[in-house]
Amino acid sequence: MVCVDDGSRDDTDEAALRAGAHVVRHPVNLGQGAAIQTGVEYARKQPGATVFATFDADGQHQVKDVIRMIDRLSADDVDLVVGTRFADPGVVSRIPLAKRLVLRAAARLSPRNRKLGLTDAHNGLRVFNKTVADGLNITMSSMSHASEFITLAYENRWRVAEEPVEILYTDYSKSKGQPLLNGVNIIFDGLLRGRTSR
Amino acid sequence: MNWIQALLIVSVLALLVYLLRSRGSARSKAWVKVGYVVFVIGSIYAILRPDDTTVVANWLGVDRGADLITYMLIIAFAFTTLSAYMRFKDIELKYARLARAVALQNARVPEQRG
Repeated sequence: MVCVDDGSRDDTDEAALRAGAHVVRHPVNLGQGAAIQTGVEYARKQPGATVFATFDADGQHQVKDVIRMIDRLSADDVDLVVGTRFADPGVVSRIPLAKRLVLRAAARLSPRNRKLGLTDAHNGLRVFNKTVADGLNITMSSMSHASEFITLAYENRWRVAEEPVEILYTDYSKSKGQPLLNGVNIIFDGLLRGRTSR
Repeated sequence: MNWIQALLIVSVLALLVYLLRSRGSARSKAWVKVGYVVFVIGSIYAILRPDDTTVVANWLGVDRGADLITYMLIIAFAFTTLSAYMRFKDIELKYARLARAVALQNARVPEQRG
């Protein structure tokens, strides 16, 4: 377990270390995309690491979902399993209406999401193998990393599957979540992606 | 459509394409310098013979030379803003990579239990 402390000023790193996590601490705040890249770069250096998972630390994800996704990764012979909160018959999360509409629209409008058959544009729960971990190069430090992840999957032809997961919208996770207006930034970053040096 | 309208639209689009296509290669830097030299020569000429800008403006369908200069200024400003934004993004990425290298060097491993 790797905990990436994105430059927080409280005792997050100490608490995580005591709880038994490897702690990697950004000296300054960079954003979630940068934190995921750091965590994966740390994890892929560990000898024997074969399966990787990203897991938002705000309490919205469930451990049982990760376990199911790991099983799926080995059973289905895919490179990447992405969580979706919009699985039709499966688990239903209580998603605020506005958020549901925007996220669904984003998934439908993104050509890459469509080609890969993904229904959730921004799910923080992902399980993947060493191929994906080694190829991962997230350059969007901000929240735009989720779409960049999908773009990378598309460009590198990783085999992607989707697994229904439950998202808990607690007061804490809502306070840590991104406002919907941030979608504007994500679209803009997506248009400029690849224009900057890698 | 006036000539000036066509010219303005084409320049805006050309600048955008230029900006998005070429990423800091030696050639594009050289063109920036060439453009700057042309700009300086043009400005000196316009300063010495301000009425001539009106003549050029009239060729393009603009009444006054001052208006033409304003239009050109707007294009230059948009170009500067966008290129500053792109450069800022580049630097941000380098900064993130630097911070990541520091973070990975100082990674802390929990004590083995059991």
